[in-house]
Amino acid sequence: MNPLNHKWSAALRRLCSVQAVPVSVRFILLLALLLLAMAAEVSVGPMNIPLSRLLSATWAYWHGSRTADAVVLGAIRWPRLLVAAFAGAGLASTGAVLQALFRNPMADPAIIGVSGGGSLGAVFMIQIGAQAVSPWLVPFGAFAAGLAAVLVVYRLATVDGRTAIHSLLLSGVAVASLCSAVVTLLLSLAPLETMQQIMFWLMGGLDGSTWSHVLVVAVFVLFALIVYESQAHALDILSLGEEQAEGVGVNPQRVKQVTLVTAALAVGSCVSVTGVIGFVGLIVPHLMRLWMGPSQRLLIPASALGGAALVTAADIVARMALAPVELNIGVVTSCLGAPFFLYLLRRQYHREVQG
Amino acid sequence: MALLRLDAVRWRDVLRDISLAWPRGRLIGLVGPNGAGKSTLLRVAAGVWRPTAGVVTIAGMPLHRLSPRQRARHLAYMPQQLPEEAPYTVRQYVAMGRYAYGTRWTGYERGNMGREAVDAALRRMGLEGKGDVPINRLSGGERQRAVLARCLTQGSPVLLLDEPIASLDLHYQVDVLKQLRALAAEGYLVVIAIHHLELAARYCDEVVLLHGGRVTGSGLPAAVLTEAAVREAFGIHVRTYKDPFTGALRLSLP
Repeated sequence: MNPLNHKWSAALRRLCSVQAVPVSVRFILLLALLLLAMAAEVSVGPMNIPLSRLLSATWAYWHGSRTADAVVLGAIRWPRLLVAAFAGAGLASTGAVLQALFRNPMADPAIIGVSGGGSLGAVFMIQIGAQAVSPWLVPFGAFAAGLAAVLVVYRLATVDGRTAIHSLLLSGVAVASLCSAVVTLLLSLAPLETMQQIMFWLMGGLDGSTWSHVLVVAVFVLFALIVYESQAHALDILSLGEEQAEGVGVNPQRVKQVTLVTAALAVGSCVSVTGVIGFVGLIVPHLMRLWMGPSQRLLIPASALGGAALVTAADIVARMALAPVELNIGVVTSCLGAPFFLYLLRRQYHREVQG
Repeated sequence: MALLRLDAVRWRDVLRDISLAWPRGRLIGLVGPNGAGKSTLLRVAAGVWRPTAGVVTIAGMPLHRLSPRQRARHLAYMPQQLPEEAPYTVRQYVAMGRYAYGTRWTGYERGNMGREAVDAALRRMGLEGKGDVPINRLSGGERQRAVLARCLTQGSPVLLLDEPIASLDLHYQVDVLKQLRALAAEGYLVVIAIHHLELAARYCDEVVLLHGGRVTGSGLPAAVLTEAAVREAFGIHVRTYKDPFTGALRLSLP
């Protein structure tokens, strides 16, 4: 490698290392990234709206104007953007919290069964034709079934008032695979048209997001962020083992209950509105841990910002990559996320091996 | 008056009818064969597990009436070793001992008390220069000192440590035991589970011999670790003698 190139890569690595940049600056950079993604998401599309007209058109929509720009922004792009951002924030912060709770880097929101249960609920509702009755029945079914799945997982893993983490992990995996088996069964029994609807929902999508959707996701995700943050210190301590944690006064069972219920509510609301968006809850906490360090107090808000930015950016790709055909956002996050994640893992591994 | 007291404590069928009482300022060694119930006794004494029968009291208060945070302010409990991959710095790790003083909502302590307690504990354990070192870069002995520092930040008069010198070399075994003796001399009650009988006899004020979930001896090392008692507990025929230099109990192995 030529020396100049080497110097640059060393500088870049220093910039990316945890200690080089103060925490506040790191947060500002994340926020800037999110704002950039958000600005792109609202302005880019089949009808480009220049950033200069963004505020005025939004303002106009708010005051009842129904020009093309105003309607595209106010009724389509803003809700879609906000659902994307809040869902990303909810999934990624939940992933960070669950990875700490399970002491397992492979944990993501799907691991407690909420995604599997949610899918099953939604598919069941679509199957029985509930959409014809009310458009809210499908998300409601997803939400209720997601919560029920988490409850089942928790009950299965709890003996004598104590929940062992490994049984929680195993029952989560078992319930998730049971749900996905039933989903497949329902799919194979469904008529072709229903099947298409189901597949579309399963792959996750943001089209048709409305302000009501925004409200649902925002309320649950903001609530979850506050609760997670209140558990941050306990989760840090818990990551060293339950007995250690009990020794310093943490109540592990309480932390597990609070975290699981909150995670179920947050992810349940996201899944019910957007369908399953994979990989965000797994990959973003890992990225943020490289960037912020292991402390949950910083990791949770950082993951929320990062997750919001990632899902927003992924949605731009989903809308624009094969325009006018729209890809499912879950496909985009997984297709881009998986290789990038593997690259990061390899790089990390090399660095550790080299010392 | 006894600071920590176990009255007729039973835990499933692992511990049977254990009554013990310890005052301040002692270093107590729990000895006994594998599976005798040493770790279980420490967990029950720490309030991590609630006794099936009987009661554990600290300064006269039944332990099970205290909240986990209140309990942690009265006694610090350290299970066997730290996980290898702990990603925190020494300072972050030691500061976790202050959890019991945190507010209900943020879990973090207000004001400077926590920082001062952490600084004092690091200084006390000779780790003042190592605050920013990742804890898994420390040597085994230094790591055990960090564990002790974390226990000290809890500000509790009782330290319960499960095998604090297991997997340390001779230098650090003696180092940690001397630290524990010094803490006992300052007024702490320190209870440790320990496998090494001669080290227990040399450094502990009292030993408690556990066998099959019962206390088969408790008191001065030389009075408890008799040839007959060791034979019964461990199935080894030892001869005991006085160390010619320190006067401590020594065991001659067959």
